[in-house]
Amino acid sequence: MISGGGPTRRELLGAGAAGAAGAAGLLALPASAAADASSTGEPPFSETDRLQRLIRLELLLVYCYRYVLASSILGPRAHERLAPFVGHEEAHVAALEARLKARGGAVPVGPDSIKTANRYLANRGVGGRLGQLKGERDALYLLLTLEQVTIGAYFVAMTKLRDSELITLVCQIMGNEAQHDAVIGLSLPKATPGTAVPYGLVQGLQ
Amino acid sequence: MVSDDGAPSRRALLTGTGTALAGGVLALAGCGSVETGKKAVKQTSASVRERDIAILGRALELERRTVAAYIACIPLLTRPERKACRQFLNEELQHTGELTSLIKAAGGKAAPRADSYALGQATDGPSALALLHSLENLQISSYLGWIPQLSPAPVRAAVASILTVDSQHLAMVRVMQDQDPVPVPFVTGST
Repeated sequence: MISGGGPTRRELLGAGAAGAAGAAGLLALPASAAADASSTGEPPFSETDRLQRLIRLELLLVYCYRYVLASSILGPRAHERLAPFVGHEEAHVAALEARLKARGGAVPVGPDSIKTANRYLANRGVGGRLGQLKGERDALYLLLTLEQVTIGAYFVAMTKLRDSELITLVCQIMGNEAQHDAVIGLSLPKATPGTAVPYGLVQGLQ
Repeated sequence: MVSDDGAPSRRALLTGTGTALAGGVLALAGCGSVETGKKAVKQTSASVRERDIAILGRALELERRTVAAYIACIPLLTRPERKACRQFLNEELQHTGELTSLIKAAGGKAAPRADSYALGQATDGPSALALLHSLENLQISSYLGWIPQLSPAPVRAAVASILTVDSQHLAMVRVMQDQDPVPVPFVTGST
């Protein structure tokens, strides 16, 4: 299911459960077969497809950060903290695109309008819409949820990937997105470094 | 239990974390990554399981070292820093629980905890934060090396969910040190 050019939350959840079950079943197969096939009858897993999904999410993040930072909705403290994150997301896109191109995959495009971005946000179950944010709190919660959905997508990817170099890259990006999540959490009212990291295991929203 | 300067004693920290650990275990029981990882690791070949047990054992030892460092450092910190670091300590304990659980699922046995750890000379708040900073970095760089070597993908994902939290700890420790919390777009364990 591809809606709005990217996977939905339902699809991610389904893929996660199927992926975990499938990965266990794959262990009896030769490594080459395991990379692209499943013994459970589910559609074959493709690294190219997974990279495209991750890039679409990263592009949505870039769009949303740019929108929020360009508006006057954030206070100076939150603005200063979040400003570098656009560059981080762009670096993630570049790194993922390089791996995608090396595998011959077509690079997806990001949202080109607020309307499209809002459709993608809705597809992923993210509350809040660009253009309708009423204040800093709304903006922070939108970005926080989108970061958590992105972490969830990387977690699901981790249950499927076989390429060592790609696994390392995904870990590095997933950790960075989690840091963004914590810093956004720290920017919420009355937040502290402790409340910004409330869980001992982070798998994101799936 | 709080000492004269308002700092919690080691006993109080340990008691508090014991409670938190119990809560952490309860949370783990419902944790998809651990359960999926445990199922997956049981289905691997013996040689793969042996390699995974060795890696998970090294990760457990590193987490235990970090737990010891938090316990030693918390009394040296300011009250707000202590509050945050107690939370991080609880989470590090949860990581030891998750790793122990994975080792058991793979048919291994977690090595006993060391009596003590050489943690260097943290004597005040800044040096304590510097120690925690370096250990969180060490955990991240180690996990980045280990995760691709683990065999079933669900086990890699379960361990990645630990790396993710350690990355957040690092960012928050950097905040306490008045440093940029997220200076680079990729966690590497060297910031």
